[in-house]
Amino acid sequence: MVKEERRIYYLFSPFLRIFHWIMAVSILVMFVSGLLITKPVYINALEPTYTLFLVDVTRSVHFLAAFVFCASLILRVYGYIINRGDRLFPRVLEGHFYSETVDVALHYMLLKKSHAPFLRNPLARMSYAGLYVMAAIEIVTGFAMYNMADPNTIGGFLFGWVNTVLGGEYMTHVVHHYCAWGIMLFVIGHIYMAIRADFMEGEGEISSMFNGTKLLEHEPKDACEVEPPKTK
Amino acid sequence: MEKRETMLESYLRRGLSRRTFIKGCVALTTMMGLSTDMVSKVVEAAEKKPLPVVIWLHGHECTGCDESFIRSGAPLASDLVLTNIALEYDHLLSAGSGEPFEHHLEETVKKYWGQYILAVEGAVSTTDNGTFCMSGGKPFVETLQRVAKGAAAIIAYGTCATDGGIQGAKPNPTGSAGIKHYTGTKPIINVPGCPPIPEVMTGVVMHVALFGKIPPLDSEGRPKQFYGNRIHDTCYRRPFFDAGMFADSYDDEGAKKGWCLYKLGCRGPETYNSCGNLRWYQGMSYPIQSGAACIGCSNAHFWDEGPMFARLPEYGPLGDIDKIGAGLAVATAAGVAVHAAASVVQKQQRDKDKENGKEQVGNK
Ligand code: HEM
Ligand code: SF4
Repeated sequence: MVKEERRIYYLFSPFLRIFHWIMAVSILVMFVSGLLITKPVYINALEPTYTLFLVDVTRSVHFLAAFVFCASLILRVYGYIINRGDRLFPRVLEGHFYSETVDVALHYMLLKKSHAPFLRNPLARMSYAGLYVMAAIEIVTGFAMYNMADPNTIGGFLFGWVNTVLGGEYMTHVVHHYCAWGIMLFVIGHIYMAIRADFMEGEGEISSMFNGTKLLEHEPKDACEVEPPKTK
Repeated sequence: MEKRETMLESYLRRGLSRRTFIKGCVALTTMMGLSTDMVSKVVEAAEKKPLPVVIWLHGHECTGCDESFIRSGAPLASDLVLTNIALEYDHLLSAGSGEPFEHHLEETVKKYWGQYILAVEGAVSTTDNGTFCMSGGKPFVETLQRVAKGAAAIIAYGTCATDGGIQGAKPNPTGSAGIKHYTGTKPIINVPGCPPIPEVMTGVVMHVALFGKIPPLDSEGRPKQFYGNRIHDTCYRRPFFDAGMFADSYDDEGAKKGWCLYKLGCRGPETYNSCGNLRWYQGMSYPIQSGAACIGCSNAHFWDEGPMFARLPEYGPLGDIDKIGAGLAVATAAGVAVHAAASVVQKQQRDKDKENGKEQVGNK
């Protein structure tokens, strides 16, 4: 039995945490329903009348999850506004960000036994930023396809340009589909890294998405992002 | 042809009654996608406006658009050309040829400078100063630029004229491109399709001719009344799509029963055109009705967008993104497993170091 002292850092507001789990479920639903839209399975019934798999329903499920996902972004934004711990994005304008990235990368490549303690390390920050970019791509391409059923609506006006930028609506489908796979690759890496972080550092990585806190033994390098600056 | 005829005069000259003229106007109104309360406006314009002068140029293309055009049923292409517009120059439909004909083009351009409608079929060939497409001894691109300068409005007929056409497919040796970059700031109406639907071709030129105005256009410069819907959203096979009933090959039960062609790469879900509601040749049929998946012929770059018989682009032996993505996911999972095993070893070493008091935190 080892006894050690750890500090509790409160990071994530309830809004971010609720958003996170809504996102997790809805992305999974959208991924599966999306693939089924591209390649519908035909469940052969006795007669066509009783076909079990309806593309219509699959699309509705996809769109419902999409609307829930987009609505939950409001929670994320609200958390971002009220809570500093919800703003852990890459500090690409600060020089130390890059040296720290290299440090963490060396550890992840198993070339270093450990990396400096962080509330959220620079690589994780970048991967989450990447996820948000991919989610944004899914949203704009998704709504472009969705709203162009009638180009003369406000939705068509707001998102129709996406099809023009990508060079045609077929390309919008392709980008939407490729990006969906990109998100899935992120998901695999993300789940692994979260479990690994808990295993290696025991900082409560996974439970932080439930209770909002992480437990750190050493003062993290980015502590100043959630705490008022220390007066020396 | 000093005082130009009106449409009514041209009807009367040919011995047709005013009643026939009014009927023609009603047909035109519907063809242009306008509501019936516009009939009086159409009649008024047809009585008073002199017939619009049209110059019809052909560039880098197969003239398939003309094949479509001459099959227009309402209005009949012959009526349109002979009584509804003053078609002064057309490579394909004109009787004249040779030097005098080319001379006539120059005359017309000079005489009606700033007034004529320019219809263009075919792409611009740009490689080697445009010498891949010559007409009347001049590169087409030169003629186009010269004639476009004096046009009141330009109509680009066919996906060649709007986006370069099939000859513009990769690697595009002739440098084929749509005409829009060679016509200056002139208003341009895009009427894509390979070819466009006959009645769409005649409807658009009549709209400009009668109202002297460009019809309402969408963000890609296409007339909204003809390109405002996806084929998928107007397709009579759509119920089969919604019900998940598909043809898996062109000769299976599903194909015979007329189920949805989505799995055969149908581009209906991405294609804006009137095939689903107007159909072709007076509503006789359209590609999907005849059992062929839509190839999206009115889409810019449809020639470069993946195999036409599949939903997704394919990469040789690697297959499509679903195969590649699944492969990558498995590879990532395998990488994760190896990394996890190595991490366990690393952790054990670290714990040992810690016990020995050689703790190492980050860069310290
Ligand atoms: C981030 C999560 C999302 C994932 C993983 C995802 C995944 C997919 C996939 C794989 C497809 C099939 C693409 C194809 O081949 O046509 C698809 C289709 C589609 N998605 Fe999404 N999507 C997401 C978000 C959205 C959003 C936010 C919308 C907005 C409404 C949306 C709307 C659509 C539409 C309209 C289609 C085409 C359906 C059809 O062709 O009938 N998606 N999605
Ligand atoms: S045949 Fe093509 S356009 Fe018609 S419903 Fe099926 S996918 Fe859509």
